[in-house]
Amino acid sequence: MKRLTRLFSLFLMVCLVNVTVIHTARAALIGTEQVARAEAVEQGTSAHARLDALLARADVRAQLERLGVGTDDARERVAALTDEEAALLAQQIENAPAGGIIGAILLVFFVLLVTDILGFTKVYPFTRPIK
Amino acid sequence: MLAAAALCLPLAGASGCAVQTRRIAATPPPGLPRRVEHAGTPFFADDDYYCGPAALATVLTAAGSAVRPQALIGDVFVPGRKGSLQLEMLAGARRHGAVATPIPGTLEALLREIAAGNAVVVLQNLGLTWAPSWHYAVAIGYDLDAGHVLLRSGPIARQALALRTFEHTWARGGHWAFVALPPGRLPATADEPEATRALVAFERSADPQAAVRAYAAALARWPHSLTLAMGLGNAHYAAGEHAAAEQVFRAAAHRHDAPAAYNNLAVLLFERGEREAASLAARHALRQGGPHAGAARKTLEMIESATPAR
Repeated sequence: MKRLTRLFSLFLMVCLVNVTVIHTARAALIGTEQVARAEAVEQGTSAHARLDALLARADVRAQLERLGVGTDDARERVAALTDEEAALLAQQIENAPAGGIIGAILLVFFVLLVTDILGFTKVYPFTRPIK
Repeated sequence: MLAAAALCLPLAGASGCAVQTRRIAATPPPGLPRRVEHAGTPFFADDDYYCGPAALATVLTAAGSAVRPQALIGDVFVPGRKGSLQLEMLAGARRHGAVATPIPGTLEALLREIAAGNAVVVLQNLGLTWAPSWHYAVAIGYDLDAGHVLLRSGPIARQALALRTFEHTWARGGHWAFVALPPGRLPATADEPEATRALVAFERSADPQAAVRAYAAALARWPHSLTLAMGLGNAHYAAGEHAAAEQVFRAAAHRHDAPAAYNNLAVLLFERGEREAASLAARHALRQGGPHAGAARKTLEMIESATPAR
């Protein structure tokens, strides 16, 4: 239900933004990102692609906030992403590698100790791989 | 011994058994120095989950925009994931004035970047595929004779990690690495598509003058690129250098016969009162159709509606 509400509000938001865009549309320079995208896929910046990007941005921002990032930071961080990056991140924010350090390590202490010594992993600072 | 062999098998399958290390040891890539160390690279110790901000601060400071890890936490750290995401590491570097470009995922490319004077952020999985321990470190040197790579890594200021072990941990991180360089300097190894993507993303949050420098350097290396030329023109325009922008758009329009370049040329001509020429350029853009036809039509409408009827 909550998901549905969120989707619906996103949809409304996009509609509103689109209406504003149409009403204030005037001639302008074609941006580099549009050119790059057109060059890369030989098909244009359809309204559909732009809609997707807009949805992705809203989605990434909401997810960042849910994961503990402050509202202002989340807004600025999403603004620094290209459309392509925003779309990618929207899909993988839960599962993409997040470089922190040392996850559920205790559980597999001995396995990792052995693999460290074999030189396959490097979890523990005190291990020295065999030659 | 048996247990060790049993462990080795699945690992070998997962990580390709350090083939690159062996190849480099057997036939060293030509022109690569045997030893390099950028000893002056700063070190920010991190004993917590903040290896992302620490690694980023390391390369940004090395690239000349001094910033402390503490100041980067709000830019790249995700508390709910106790770490930093790769795409946000790139975006974070851009927001601090550096061009962040992923490099090819080969050991040779990594060594070449280091040899070219660049510190490289690498994503490692220090643990195993099924028990991951994601970690960002900064590669600042290597020694082919000793067979190790030198890292600024977490709490360790100078980690000499066996190339073989490094390759395993890096392979499990998807061979992902990037350099963050001041605008105008290009990575030694990045290919054209990757460098272009990085610059287009950089333009989004960059100071226009910095974007001009960055695009100009890339266009000098890849002069046939329409995207880079358009980027240079747009950056000039954003910096208020309209004459320079017009010149770039005109050159790109002629060289590529590209509607996007004709459209932008038309807007600039119109803005300085050259309505006839602007109208011609816009018509030319529109005639070619394609993805930018909508923009070209709008440009032409603007020009026509402002032109007094004859």
